[in-house]
Amino acid sequence: MDKEAFIRIKGLTKRYKNTVEPAVDGLDLNINKGEIFGLLGPNGAGKTTTLSILCNQIPATSGKVVISGLLLKTHNRELKKIIGVVPQEIALFEKLTAYENLRFFGNMYGLRGSELKSRILDCMRYFGLEGKADKKIETFSGGMKRRVNLIAGILHKPEVLFLDEPTVGIDVQSKTVIVDFLKQLNKEGATILYTSHHMDEAEHLCTHIAIIDKGKIITNGKPAELIKSEENCDTLEDIFLKLTGRKLRD
Amino acid sequence: MWLKFRASSVKEFLLLLRDRAGLAMLFVMPMALILIMTLLQDSTFKVLEEKRMTVLVLNHDADTFGINIVDGLKQSPVFDVVEQLEGKPFDEEQLKQQVMDGNFSIGIVIRENASRALRNKIKLGIQEQFPVEEGPIFDMDSTDAADTAKVRLYFDPITKSVFRQNIISALRRFSAAVEAKMLFSVYAELFYDLLDIQLKPTGKLQNLVVFEQEYASTAENRIVPNAVQHNVPAWTVFAMFFMVIPLAGNLIKERQSGVAMRLKTMPGSAQAVIFGKGTVYFVVGILQAVFMLMIGFYVLPLFGMYSLRLDNITLPALILIIMATSLAATGYGIVIGTIATSQEQSSIFGSISVVILAALGGVWVPTFMMPEFMLTVSKLSPLNWGLNGFYDIFLRNARVPEVMPYALSLLVFFVLCLLVSRFYIRFKESFL
Ligand SMILES: Nc1ncnc2c1ncn2[C@@H]1O[C@H](COP(=O)(O)OP(=O)(O)OP(=O)(O)O)[C@@H](O)[C@H]1O
Ligand SMILES: [Mg+2]
Repeated sequence: MDKEAFIRIKGLTKRYKNTVEPAVDGLDLNINKGEIFGLLGPNGAGKTTTLSILCNQIPATSGKVVISGLLLKTHNRELKKIIGVVPQEIALFEKLTAYENLRFFGNMYGLRGSELKSRILDCMRYFGLEGKADKKIETFSGGMKRRVNLIAGILHKPEVLFLDEPTVGIDVQSKTVIVDFLKQLNKEGATILYTSHHMDEAEHLCTHIAIIDKGKIITNGKPAELIKSEENCDTLEDIFLKLTGRKLRD
Repeated sequence: MWLKFRASSVKEFLLLLRDRAGLAMLFVMPMALILIMTLLQDSTFKVLEEKRMTVLVLNHDADTFGINIVDGLKQSPVFDVVEQLEGKPFDEEQLKQQVMDGNFSIGIVIRENASRALRNKIKLGIQEQFPVEEGPIFDMDSTDAADTAKVRLYFDPITKSVFRQNIISALRRFSAAVEAKMLFSVYAELFYDLLDIQLKPTGKLQNLVVFEQEYASTAENRIVPNAVQHNVPAWTVFAMFFMVIPLAGNLIKERQSGVAMRLKTMPGSAQAVIFGKGTVYFVVGILQAVFMLMIGFYVLPLFGMYSLRLDNITLPALILIIMATSLAATGYGIVIGTIATSQEQSSIFGSISVVILAALGGVWVPTFMMPEFMLTVSKLSPLNWGLNGFYDIFLRNARVPEVMPYALSLLVFFVLCLLVSRFYIRFKESFL
């Protein structure tokens, strides 16, 4: 792919201490600006590990990551400001209200005052959490928590957004709102990298996908083109099963 | 940076405010401990103080000897002298009954004419110093000479022998003084009779030897506090260190919920958060100390205890020790929260270790009651440094330079905790 790609990942390898198999094994990936990129793969494929490296949570064993022309290893301070992260688990304070949580994370991105307040309330309204601002997170349902978890990662209007299974364990309504929201964000210019186990969702949402297994990319391209190129495959799910097999994973 | 720090402090403050159990642990538990332990230990500590003895005195000798003995008893800080029963004079029979009934542990009866008998004994002694040829120098009859000055003591059988020894040696001391005084006056009389020289009375002959009291202990300067002076600072220090449980708990919760990981993706946040957290608990520690001291000052007197004396203390020294103790406790909480892997682990290890450090440090059993060996061991506990700092301030009016060693030790402990935490985080991250 072109050298001008917005996110360039080269030979990325992650070997956790005291493990034999690398979790990520020489991954090469280019993501262009303005794409919604889907990283798909079975359990334990290395999706979360890859995202964790991209958003500075853990160091890579080897390989190179360049985002927006900046080398991740040396420019993580600058990059953190333009990256938004929505983790796989609900990373919120249970004892704080939704508003207090969001205000705290907003402050961490340097947002403040009435601007932050209106942004929080707008997002909450968008995600159907109107009137819930002053309720503690511990009183929220799983779907509501997931929505707040997402809002916490996008308050600062990031240029790049990493989402790790944002639509896991929620109802169709919530899922639709989230998918629509991501499309909207993307239209406004955000580059999105997200992981999912929902093949149909990825098929419709993503401009580009990569299927990884055992830390390696096994296929990579536009969803429609991939479906066309593989024989006997009508959906992304068919391709997924064909390429990763039916064996159960850890 | 300021915004992030402020946001972190606010968040930490809200979390603590909503943690009822944590707040109870930090404020209610130590308050209860102070009240209960002070009330329980009050009598124990009182025995340790030099307790005053009440003595019932019946003086039949309204002369030099009797008057001087009673005055001597009255002026002694150890004795309370009672000379009347319910405002009425009493006789020896009543005195005996009172002591037998246990109303007084000691009764003293000074016999009639004790002074005269004493004076005669002195005269007799002087007479013997003169050659027989000189004949009688003083005029007195033989019945007088046979008389002896007598003091009779009645003891309640349960009176401890220490107390008996105390009163007897005190009486000997007083009577020796009176004897010397009377000897001097008899000689003065004699000089006047024989040589017509008027001697002036002098007070300079008293207390020719000064007794310096020292406590025979190799432990430098054991200070003996009263129950209030011990319990208030002891449980304050204890309570401050109990902040490890909410502090470490929140730290672990933050890690387990993934918030810590999320913070790593945010610009410069991890430091701001730990700094904000530390600051909130540091301030809470100070509030705890102020709260406990107020209990000592305002509440304990309501229960008939002494009030914690705060009038003579050096405020900057007190502030220094409070801040240093709070920092040390904060550091301890951070290190426990960093190393422990679950909340259960941190609260069990945190509370047990604080209880042990408290026991070692002299919170439960004050160090002055400890055997020599334990006294050395107790110096290893940071709670001991804080407690000693408070002791010095409350009992010796210590100033800043005198409590500085304790403050510095606590500060070093704090820095050490932070370094260990940092080192441990590095070590853990090398596994990621
Ligand atoms: N902290 C860790 N230490 C050791 N091994 C790890 C660690 N985290 C993940 N792994 C291993 O790395 C591999 C990749 O895990 P990862 O979480 O990246 O998978 P994933 O694709 O996100 O899976 P899932 O779809 O279940 O979320 C797995 O084999 C996992 O066991
Ligand atoms: Mg994952």
